[in-house]
Amino acid sequence: MTARISRWPGIELSAADLYERKVTQTRFRPDAKYAWSAGEAMSRFLAELQNGRLIARSCHKCKRILFPPRMFCEECFRPTDEWTFIHDTGTIETFSISYLDTDAKRIAEPILVGVVSLDGATPKMGMMHFFGEMTKEEIRIGMRVKAEWKPPLDRQGSVLDIRYFRPLREGER
Amino acid sequence: MTFLDRTTDGRKFRHWEGNVEADYIYTSGVAGERFFVALRDEGRMLASRCTACHLDYLPPRMFCEDCFAELTEYVEVPKAGRVAATTAAYVDRTGAKLSHPQVWAFVTFNGIRGGLVHRLLVPPNQARAGLAVRARIRPREARTGTIADIEGFEPVRS
Repeated sequence: MTARISRWPGIELSAADLYERKVTQTRFRPDAKYAWSAGEAMSRFLAELQNGRLIARSCHKCKRILFPPRMFCEECFRPTDEWTFIHDTGTIETFSISYLDTDAKRIAEPILVGVVSLDGATPKMGMMHFFGEMTKEEIRIGMRVKAEWKPPLDRQGSVLDIRYFRPLREGER
Repeated sequence: MTFLDRTTDGRKFRHWEGNVEADYIYTSGVAGERFFVALRDEGRMLASRCTACHLDYLPPRMFCEDCFAELTEYVEVPKAGRVAATTAAYVDRTGAKLSHPQVWAFVTFNGIRGGLVHRLLVPPNQARAGLAVRARIRPREARTGTIADIEGFEPVRS
């Protein structure tokens, strides 16, 4: 250890020493409650997902449509002004072909995930989601996609109320 | 609108509640282990002794606070002590109101540095500093190696 200290005082304890109460001890479970709030903007966003709609906030100063919505404009440093609905169609901005699932377990069939920028919001603003009804060979940046919604009764006010984004079909908008 | 106009209560919005499972086991340590094992097995209270400084420590400490020597010698604490300070509690550890006020005391012992905070087994109107007391130890079968092996301190009739 050092020239003057050849051993540290005390006794090393194993997990068994603790759990089998081989040493005197105090056990305590703190009552550490918490409430994690989605906040004003995200709560409205989640509620509107249940209605099958995507909502954004506009800032009158920089004229941007902020999505996902937020109550404060990070460019202008001022509160945002209005709620506005945007479209459930968009463009693939970036994607990954993932051989890990959402629990980081290895999977044989990859899932397609990425960021889709949504029509009606300021360019490049969008959300991360799954992509479906396309193969890993077909997916590409710039692809036009549309949200595939769960049936209304299955929606829970969650981002998973959209199952995935699928290719925009001919004549669809 | 400023931030101050907004609600500060997150529960008014979509929220998720939980409880942090931050359980812990706190071991007594080397000197504490000696104290609690002697209390549990023999019903005795021990202090650690620094022979160089002529000091005894209660609760026992592993090192002398004055000369930093490692302490390995233990001596029995005298049976009788004295109340150094008292207080009455009207709520329990969780903040719940108690039906009767509980009397607590810091008890010191002649010639020993330190002392113990514990229940004082007298009615609130009889609690006072200077009271001569001794520990009431629970019966062997009820002792578990915690400070609750001492039921409290009761007055000594002199």
